[in-house]
Amino acid sequence: MPKLNLSHFEAALLFSLFSSVVMGITSKKTNREQLNYGAYCFGCFVVALFGIGWVMKLGHG
Amino acid sequence: MAQTTTADQSATPAKNVWLPIVAGWLIPGAGHFLLKKTGRGALIFASVVLMFLFGLFMRGIMFTPEKGPDYLTSLINYGGSVCNLAAGALYIVTVMFGYSQPDMAGAVHDYGTKFLVTAGLLNILAMVDAWEIATGKKE
Repeated sequence: MPKLNLSHFEAALLFSLFSSVVMGITSKKTNREQLNYGAYCFGCFVVALFGIGWVMKLGHG
Repeated sequence: MAQTTTADQSATPAKNVWLPIVAGWLIPGAGHFLLKKTGRGALIFASVVLMFLFGLFMRGIMFTPEKGPDYLTSLINYGGSVCNLAAGALYIVTVMFGYSQPDMAGAVHDYGTKFLVTAGLLNILAMVDAWEIATGKKE
């Protein structure tokens, strides 16, 4: 079985993508709402990824 | 008024509400396929299966339901094993083929473990969604 060596960023981005798709589908009723909510979740994941990343970098000095 | 009538007709409860849930547990998205929601089913299938496979390829660990030295470890072990089991046939086949990964330090392994657990959690969300569609609470 091949072994993947993804970076933190790549792994977090994939995690965000898959989670956002399912959360979008399961949380809203119409297709348009699902697409919008999925995109919103993905955007929140990415903003949090960069935000928390910078907080950790600045916190470590 | 006309839209409400159409929505009410499309949200008719299915005859057997448990079949889509069980099918959705075994094969992610299968419940949605049974309920004729093929697009949603395909997206759920792709997301859950890819997440699980990425978790395996990153050598994530599968939790075993066992008591740990403290309460928190026991909670993580039992909770993690329930989440792993929620991935359905993916988990069963993986265990049947003897997948066993020791708990090792490293970011990639850790991400792999989270991917495996989250694949199960996403499948639970999909099962609940299938149940809501089957009972007519959602279109």
